[in-house]
Amino acid sequence: MDLGDVGAAVRIAFIYFTILYLTGLGGLFSERSGIVNIGLEGLMVIGTVTGAAGVEVLAGPAPVGLGWGAGGVVLGLLFGALCGLLFAGVHALATITFRVDHIVSGVVINLAAIGLARFLSFVFFEQATQSDPGGPHLPRIDIPGLSSLPAGLGRAFTSLSPVVLFAAFLVFPVWFALYRTRWGLRLRSAGENPEATRSLGVSVSALRWQGVLLSGLLAGLSGAFLSVEVVGNWREGQTLGLGFIALAALILSNWNPRRLMLATFVFGFAQAIPLRFRDWPVIESIPPQLIRTIPYVVTIIAIAGFVGRVRPPAAAGRAYEGAGGS
Amino acid sequence: MATEVAAVPIRERAPWIESVVGQSLALVAAFAIAVAIGSVIVVLYGESPATVYGAMLRFAFKDPTSIGTVLSIATPLIFSALAVAVCFKAGLFNIGVEGQFLVGMVTASWAALTFDFLPGASHMVMVLLFSMVGGMVYAAIPAVLKVTTGAHEVVTTIMLNGVALSIVSWALNGPLKYTNAPPGQNVDLRTDIFEPSALVPKIGGAFDVGASANLSLLFPIGLVAALIVWFLIRRMRLGYEARAVGSSVGSARAGGIAIGAVQIKLFLISGALAGLTGMQQVLVERGALVQNYESQLGFTGIAVAFLGQNNPLGIVFAAILWGILSRGETALQIETEVPREFVIILQSILILTVVVVYQIARRRLARRQLQRAGTQEKGSADAAAPQDVDRPEPPERMSEVD
Amino acid sequence: MDGEPGAGRGSAPPLVVMEHITKRFPGVLANDDVSLELRPGEVHALIGENGAGKSTLMRVLYGMYPPDEGRILVKGEEVRISSPRVAIQCGIGMVHQHFVLVDPFTVTENVILGDEGGTVLDLDAANDRVAELAQEFGFRVRPGAIVEELSVGEEQRVEILKALYRGVDILILDEPTAVLTPGEAKELFGNLRKLRAAGKTIVFISHKLDEVLEIADRITVLRRGRAVGETRPADTSKAKLAEMMVGRPVLFRLEKPDVRIGEPVLHAEELLAVGPVNGLSLDVRAGEVLGVAGVEGNGQRELAEVLIGLRPLTSGRIVLNGTDITGWSVEDIRNAGVAYIPEDRHEQGLVLDMTLWENAILGRQDDAEYTAAGRLVLLIRKIKSLAGRLIQRFDVRAQTINVSAGTLSGGNQQKLILARELDTEPKLLIAAQPTRGLDVGAIEFVWRRILDQKAAGRAILLISAELDEIYALADRIVTLYEGRITGEYPPDAEPEDIGVGMLGGRLEAAS
Repeated sequence: MDLGDVGAAVRIAFIYFTILYLTGLGGLFSERSGIVNIGLEGLMVIGTVTGAAGVEVLAGPAPVGLGWGAGGVVLGLLFGALCGLLFAGVHALATITFRVDHIVSGVVINLAAIGLARFLSFVFFEQATQSDPGGPHLPRIDIPGLSSLPAGLGRAFTSLSPVVLFAAFLVFPVWFALYRTRWGLRLRSAGENPEATRSLGVSVSALRWQGVLLSGLLAGLSGAFLSVEVVGNWREGQTLGLGFIALAALILSNWNPRRLMLATFVFGFAQAIPLRFRDWPVIESIPPQLIRTIPYVVTIIAIAGFVGRVRPPAAAGRAYEGAGGS
Repeated sequence: MATEVAAVPIRERAPWIESVVGQSLALVAAFAIAVAIGSVIVVLYGESPATVYGAMLRFAFKDPTSIGTVLSIATPLIFSALAVAVCFKAGLFNIGVEGQFLVGMVTASWAALTFDFLPGASHMVMVLLFSMVGGMVYAAIPAVLKVTTGAHEVVTTIMLNGVALSIVSWALNGPLKYTNAPPGQNVDLRTDIFEPSALVPKIGGAFDVGASANLSLLFPIGLVAALIVWFLIRRMRLGYEARAVGSSVGSARAGGIAIGAVQIKLFLISGALAGLTGMQQVLVERGALVQNYESQLGFTGIAVAFLGQNNPLGIVFAAILWGILSRGETALQIETEVPREFVIILQSILILTVVVVYQIARRRLARRQLQRAGTQEKGSADAAAPQDVDRPEPPERMSEVD
Repeated sequence: MDGEPGAGRGSAPPLVVMEHITKRFPGVLANDDVSLELRPGEVHALIGENGAGKSTLMRVLYGMYPPDEGRILVKGEEVRISSPRVAIQCGIGMVHQHFVLVDPFTVTENVILGDEGGTVLDLDAANDRVAELAQEFGFRVRPGAIVEELSVGEEQRVEILKALYRGVDILILDEPTAVLTPGEAKELFGNLRKLRAAGKTIVFISHKLDEVLEIADRITVLRRGRAVGETRPADTSKAKLAEMMVGRPVLFRLEKPDVRIGEPVLHAEELLAVGPVNGLSLDVRAGEVLGVAGVEGNGQRELAEVLIGLRPLTSGRIVLNGTDITGWSVEDIRNAGVAYIPEDRHEQGLVLDMTLWENAILGRQDDAEYTAAGRLVLLIRKIKSLAGRLIQRFDVRAQTINVSAGTLSGGNQQKLILARELDTEPKLLIAAQPTRGLDVGAIEFVWRRILDQKAAGRAILLISAELDEIYALADRIVTLYEGRITGEYPPDAEPEDIGVGMLGGRLEAAS
C-alpha cells in the first residue's frame, strides 16, 4: 500500500475523465436537444482513427508528415473532431430528417464505425487494425504547485496533456451556453417540449442538427485524444466501451454539465482501481473484471430509482421508452 | 337519422394486400437505393458496380459449401433478430441481446463442461437448454427492473451489455478456465474443449455442403424458431396482448391485460432466443468458448431485425441476405480492388434506407386509408393534429380530426 | 362603462377580415367558403359542434395552414399568413386547447422563448417585463415560478401572456374553459373583459352556449364547415344557437323506457384513492341509470377507473351483486360482468394501430369462447365473425373489419367500443362521457343504446359533464365535487339546484 498509488490513480482518473467528459458532453448536447445518441462509442471510434491519421499527416516526420510540431497535433486532433462531426451527420440525417428511431440509428452508427474505421485505417495507415506506435503528441504539462504535493500525490498533476485542462475548463463555457444564452434556452426547449418550440416559430430541426453535430465533434475529439495523447497510436477496439460508460455517466448526472464532471471523474477513478490498487486489501479479492462493471451497476441502481430519480429531457425520454422519439 | 343498418361488406382482401404489396415494393426500393449509393463508392475505387456486386453474388453461390457458409453466418443472426423482434412487438427495446447472448455462452459452456457424463444428444440438448436459461435469467433483470421500478429498459440493457463483457472475461479467467492444456504449449485463453457429445451436428453433407461451411442443425432450428415466433405473435393470446401493450398501453390495461406480466414473459422469451445466438460459434465452429469470441452478434441482430421489419419471415430473409453480403467480403478481397470493409458500410446503408423507406411507405398507406375513411363522412373535420412549422402535416388519423 | 360588451365600438372598422376561406384535408372539407370579420375591442365567439371547422378556421388565421381558397385582410391590407410567426407579426396570437409549455422552465423563460431579445439572456429584465405585463391586465402569475408546478388556470395565463408579450391585438382562445374550474373560468372572464376594454379583440372558440351568451359581443356559428349565421347575445337564445349549430331542433329528450328498478347491483362505500376520490359512496340498481353530474376535473375519470380496477383504492369497499370485488384486477372485474366505456377512447378504449376485429375482442381475449388450447391460442375466425356482427349491429362505418381502428371517425370508434362492451351483456355498465366529441346523430344513437340496456334490466353508471345527457338518460342524479358525492336529485330537478351540488353544495353568488 503506497500513497504513490493514489497519486498515480488520480492521474489515470484525470485521463479517463477527459475521455468520458468530452464524450459525455457530446451526448449531453444531443440528448438535451431531444435526440438520443447511443452511437457515442462509434463516434469516438471514428475520432480515434482519424485523429491519429491527422496527427501523423500534419505533425509526423517526413516523408509522410509535414512536421508541424505542436500546432500540427492540435490540428490533427481537430481533424478527428471534425470527422466525428461528419459521421454524426449520418445520425442527424436519419433521426431528424427521416425520423428513424433514435436507438436503431445509434446501433447502426456503432456497427458502421467499426468497418469504417478499418476502411480508413487502410487508407491512412495501410494496415487494417492499427497504426504505427509512438506517434507525436502535445507537450506535457506539470501543474505548478499541485504537482509538487508530497507523498506521491503530486504525481496526479504531473505530465498531463493540455487536453485534460481543456476538458476541465470546458464546463464553464458549456454551462453558460446552455443556461444563459438564447441558443441554450432554445436547445433545451427542443429537448423538453418541441411543440412549444415550434409553436413559437423556432426551428426544432436546426437546433437538433446542432446538438447532434456537436456530439460528433466532442466525441470525435475524445477519440482523437485517446489515440493520439493517451495511447500514441490507433488500435482497433481501443475505445473499450468507454462511449457507453460516458452514456452511463450522462444519465447518472441527470444531463447536467457540472454533475457530469463529477460522474465522469468518479467513473474514471473506478477504471483506475484495477490498474493501480490491485494489491490493496479488499481490492485484491475482487476479480478485476468485475471492478470494471462498477460504472454500469451504479448507473442501473440510479435509474432504477434506488438512489434518487433520474429525469431525461422529456422528448429524449420518449425515445428511451422505445417509442422512437420525435 | 341513419339508424338503418347498412350491410357492411366484409371484404377481407383489399387492405391486407395493399399492405403486403406496399411493403414488398418498399423493400425493393430501399434495396435499390442502397445499391445505388454503394455503387458510388465502388466507382470511386475504379471498379464497375456490376463487376463488384456480381463477384459478391457469384462467390456466395459458387458451390453448395459456399451457400452453406451463407446459411451458417445467418444462423446466429436469426436468433438474435428474433429476440429483438419479440420484444419490439410489445413496445420493448431489447438492446441487451448482446449481453444475453454472451451470458448464454457462459452458461452453455458451464453446462457443456459439467454435464459431460450425459450420453450423446441429451448432452447437447442440455447445453442448448442452458444457453437459453442463461439468456433468460440475464433478460429477467431489466424486465423485472422495468416492471417494478419503471427503469427504462434501453438504459438498463445497455449497461448490462457492458457487465456481460466482464462476466465472460471473469469466467474465462476464473471458473471456466481451461484445466488441461497440452504440456509445453502456449494456449490462448479459453475453456476446455467440449466433449463431442455437446456439439451440434453439422448437416448438408447430402447436398455436398462441405464441413468447412459449418452448416449445422442450428439453422433448421432457427427456422423453426422463426415459425414459433410467428405463431406466438399472430395466433397466440400472449402475442395479441403483447401487440396491444406495444401499441396502446392504456387501452390494453383497460382491456384487462396484465402489462407487467406480458412484458416479463416477452423479455424471457427474447432472452432465451438471444442465448441461442452464441451456440453456432461455441457448439459448431469452435467447440469451446474462446477469448477472441465473435461479438457484436447481438447488435447485428438488431440491424437484421429492422432490416426484416421485425417480422419473422422478413428476419429469415434479412439474415440470409446479411449472410450473402458477409460472404461477399471474401470475394471482394480476392477479385476486386474494393476493400472488404465496403460490405459493412453497404450493410449499414441498407438498414438505414430500409427503415427510412418503410417509414415513408407506412405513412402513405395510412394516409390512403384515411382518405378512404374520410369519403364516407364528409364535412366532419376540425383538425386538431399538432402542427409542425418546419414540416406542416395534415392529420394522420381521422380521430385526430376534432 | 368599462368592460361593457360592445360599448361604443360597434362602428369601428374591422381589424381582420377573412374572405371566402376554404380549406380541404384528404377526404374532408374542413372550411367551406367561410367569411368572418373581427373588430377591435370585442369578444367574438366562434361556435359549432365538434367537427364544424372552428379550430381549422382559426388555425388558418394563425398561419398554421394555408387556405386553399380565399384571402385574409389585416387592417385593410391583404396578407399571406404563412406561419405563426407571420401571424404574430400581424398582431394575431393563439392559445391552443392543449398548452405548449416547457415544464422545467420558469414562466418568464416560457414567455420569452423565441423572442429573447439578444444572444445572452437577461432574465432579470425579462422577469420585470413579464410582471409588468401581467399587472397591466390583471393576470395573477409569478414570473419565477416553474411551470411544472402551476395549476391549469395559471398555465393558461402563461399562454396568454406569451401572446400579449408579443404585442398581439387579436387573441384566439380555443375552448379555453374546457380545462378550468368554475372559479378559474370566472377569473379568466374578468381578464378577458380587461383586455377588451384595452381595445384587444378576443376570438372565443367554444361549444358551451351558456358561456358564450355571457361573454361574447358577437357570435358566429359554424356548421359542417360553413358559416351559417352571425348574431348577438341579445338577439338570440341557447335554443336558437343550438338549432343553428345543428340545423334542426335538437332532441334534448328521448323516450325513457318504463322499467322496474331492482336491487343494487353496485355498492361503493367510502372509496378513497389518489386523485380526487375522497370518501365516495354510491349505489346503482338494476334497470337504473344513475347520472353522475359534475364539472370536469372533480374526479369523474378517477371514479370510473377505480370501479373498473384501473386505479388502486387506498381504502373503501366495492360490492358487485353481493360479491366483494375490492382490489380485484381489471380482468376479474370484467369477468364478473362489468363493462366500461372510457372517457378517452384512444387512451383506454381502442388500440388504434390494430384492426377492427382485433379491437373487437379486447377485454375478452381470455374468454373460453374465443380461445383454445387452455386459452393460449386465439380462434381468429370466431373473433372475426364477432367483429362482423358488432359493426353491423351498431352501424360502424368502415370498409372492412381489417382496417385499423385509427382510420375510423370518432363517432364510429365510439360505436365500436359500445358494440364491444355491450355485447358482453354486462350486469353493470360504466359509461364515462360516452358521447364526447360526437356529432348529434351519433349522440342520439349512443343514448338509444344505453336506454336499451336499461330496458334489459342492467345497471348503468353514467358519468357526464353534459347536463343535457344526464337529463336525457338518468333516473337518479348525483353530483360529484372534489371526489365526493355532494347531493342527490330527482330526474326532473332544476339545473340551478343541481348546479349547487356541482359546485360543492355551497350557495355561491351567481357568476
